[in-house]
Amino acid sequence: MTPAPNVLAIVDAGRATTSVGLLARVGDQWRLLGSLAAPAGTSEEDLLAVLAARALRAGEGLAAQAELVPGALDAMPRLSARSRAPRTLLILAASRRAAGDLSAVALRTGWRVEVASTESHDPREMSELVLRRDVGAVLIGAGDPAGPDERSALDDLAALGGAAARRRPELHVLLGGAIRGRRAWFDALGEDPPGDPARFHEVPAARRAETRVREALERLLDDPADGRQRLGATAETLADLLDRRVELVEVGFEGGTRVIAEPGVAGGDPSSEAIVTAEGALVPPEPNEETVDSVLAWTTGSLDRHRMGDRLRDLRGRPWVDATGDGARLRLAAASAALARIAALTPELSRQPTPDVTVVAGGAFATAPPAAIALAVADTIRRPGVSQLAWDHARLLGPIGTIEDPAERGALLRDLLSDALVPLGSVVVTGGLGARRPGRVRDRSRAGRFELSVGGSSTSRDLAVGELAFIDLVPGARAEARIAFSEPVRFGRRMRHVTVAVTGGLAGLILDLRDVPLRLPERRDRRRTLLADWSAQAWPRDER
Amino acid sequence: MIPADGSLGFELVRLRRVVTSPIVARFRLRPGERALVAPGEAVVRGAPLVERIREPRTGVVDGPAGAEPGAWWVAPPGRRRSAVGAASGELLFRSGGRWRIGVGDPAEPLEAPFGGIVREVVPGSGLTVETPARALLGADVLTGSSIGRLHRIGPGDGQIRASEIDVGVAGMILVVGSHIDAEAITRARALGVRGIVVGGLGVKERREVLASERRGQAGVHGLPPFAVLVLDGAIGRPIATPVLDVLDALEGRLVGIVEDPACLVIDDPDVELPTPRADLVRIAAGPLAGAEGTWEGLAGPHRFAGGVALEAGLVRLGNRPAVPVPLGDLERFI
Repeated sequence: MTPAPNVLAIVDAGRATTSVGLLARVGDQWRLLGSLAAPAGTSEEDLLAVLAARALRAGEGLAAQAELVPGALDAMPRLSARSRAPRTLLILAASRRAAGDLSAVALRTGWRVEVASTESHDPREMSELVLRRDVGAVLIGAGDPAGPDERSALDDLAALGGAAARRRPELHVLLGGAIRGRRAWFDALGEDPPGDPARFHEVPAARRAETRVREALERLLDDPADGRQRLGATAETLADLLDRRVELVEVGFEGGTRVIAEPGVAGGDPSSEAIVTAEGALVPPEPNEETVDSVLAWTTGSLDRHRMGDRLRDLRGRPWVDATGDGARLRLAAASAALARIAALTPELSRQPTPDVTVVAGGAFATAPPAAIALAVADTIRRPGVSQLAWDHARLLGPIGTIEDPAERGALLRDLLSDALVPLGSVVVTGGLGARRPGRVRDRSRAGRFELSVGGSSTSRDLAVGELAFIDLVPGARAEARIAFSEPVRFGRRMRHVTVAVTGGLAGLILDLRDVPLRLPERRDRRRTLLADWSAQAWPRDER
Repeated sequence: MIPADGSLGFELVRLRRVVTSPIVARFRLRPGERALVAPGEAVVRGAPLVERIREPRTGVVDGPAGAEPGAWWVAPPGRRRSAVGAASGELLFRSGGRWRIGVGDPAEPLEAPFGGIVREVVPGSGLTVETPARALLGADVLTGSSIGRLHRIGPGDGQIRASEIDVGVAGMILVVGSHIDAEAITRARALGVRGIVVGGLGVKERREVLASERRGQAGVHGLPPFAVLVLDGAIGRPIATPVLDVLDALEGRLVGIVEDPACLVIDDPDVELPTPRADLVRIAAGPLAGAEGTWEGLAGPHRFAGGVALEAGLVRLGNRPAVPVPLGDLERFI
């Protein structure tokens, strides 16, 4: 009989970097011995060899020693997740309005989306787009019944789609709304269309059944080994283990994720709502003016647009490079812009109550200082309330999500909770206090009084309108925060006195009295001053 | 025996392949452009591959009812041209009993930048040509493909100005160093230079070059082929020594630039290319960007500027003591 393994490698092979975590049984529990990441293309074996050598040097007497020597590494069991190359969805519609409706749905999926309509493109241009080899699927949509702005172009659109399906037998074609029954479609497709008949999918009109269209698009991308897609399962397991509402936000090289999971009620299964979107990528493949502006909006430096464009292009081309100094700040500004895009695409999740725990994941945060990560989340994923922040520093959550059996997944995650999730601290956000007056970054209008009780001792301080404060609270420390506001604030509901339990972390307790949603000055110099004031608390002092 | 970190970790440094072989190059075909070759056909350097078009547009013609989309349509002899003036074009789709076709005015044909075998022709999408030739890999290519004799006009870490490019380099592909501005590229184009090889090219320069190229191609007489091969990215950094050594070995030889994959094709089996030193590492970013040294081993997690803790490698630069550099900022060569 083969003995149960005492070691396990967890591999997250992303599109930018590969991360390997080395686990070993210590007693009857799995523990994380270490993790290491390197540019994509680096072999897992080489990463594992370094980790194993370190573990052996550090852990004399480790039960798993025999399984960590160089010759035994090949036999080590692995739990792997990988990211596939992203695919492009082309939306073809008979009007700009219809194209916009479909695009709004498709952007909330893992597809990269390109849009063309008969109002904006001529048939040759649309044919050129649909014949591009990076286009993996085409969604040809119209209203049902077709709108007056669509009717004249429906036959052309249907015929163009049918011809494209004949020319590209591997292309998935989704037909929506009034396009489905057009004779022009059947005439162009012919009686014996090439390729797998299962590649044709019927979807309802986007306005009527957004969820069904989104599900149809997501089914085409379904991959049980994709860590990003499986983060929803991990969040559910986490919610169930902690018996807490959990929000998970992730920003990676090719996309991002936002999940809110709830524990099962009365013995039921946990549930979650998740959006995986290519719009959540750290930097889009071809950073344009809009991308440049969105990142500049979160930077405190003095880069001009061209220079920022250069930096973003290089960040996209070689995302593992230049992660220190200014490069670290640029990376986090790009991550903040990505989080803001994700938040804008998921208003229904933003409307939900503040989760008890917020988990930050993804390669975009892999190298940032903990307090800066906490600030990026507080800046972008904003709701009044208190949430505990944790960080998936070793990128274990995606691969753990690929475990099909919830019980197995839960058993492994239970063992690894304290190792996999680094506590960043707690963030307390209030709304309705207003913002600091523009140009007065040191505005000290008194907003109330704050008191923090840790063990038997307590500290207190005055609060200012629009204030952001990082208060030291060591990881693991439990405390009670009492805030007495001088006027009612939004904190779940309107109240003047707030008493909440908070826990410490690497970033401490973040007291965030800025407005919800965050309103920043339009003028760039004022915005920069404000951002610099906040980020000075989150980034190490010597680098200011 | 437990290996020390010093004997491990070099494999964690990103490997950059300088030269590769064979090459399967892909050339884009837009609807309305006609491939002049067929799969399996052998082509020589300079052979016409594609009949390019200017001002592509959609035409509407009667066409045969049973034809396949993607087929090439030619107007029947003796009949007047249709309203769009199209005598031929690519059938796109048939709607309302008439075909929409891709048409345009004839432009300079695309010539093969190297000899090889045509592997695939997909109308409206692209064609591929395979060659056993070697290629120097770059990051990306602007404005298509080209052929010319390679000539280095600047140091690997410098910038070339417009005034430094004269008519004597017409017909050549120039190696210009770490950076070049749009004005110098425009001047090179105007003087008949066939290509530029540069370390980095910023987004502003890219935009200006592409806009200038579009204007030139839209002209009635078009322009001869021209391509810009960018070796690293957007920020100008010195060209890596192993890459520069290969470029130096190719001085005066005929080479081609192709877009997909972005590379400089060396269609000359006789030329001997230098191989990079195995222990050489180059620092690709940070305060020491462009510096090259030797690998001394893993340094372990190290705290860098910005309060960032990263896995580091020790690099010896010349005779100075080894310095820790983030592993992600390093590259080695093969």
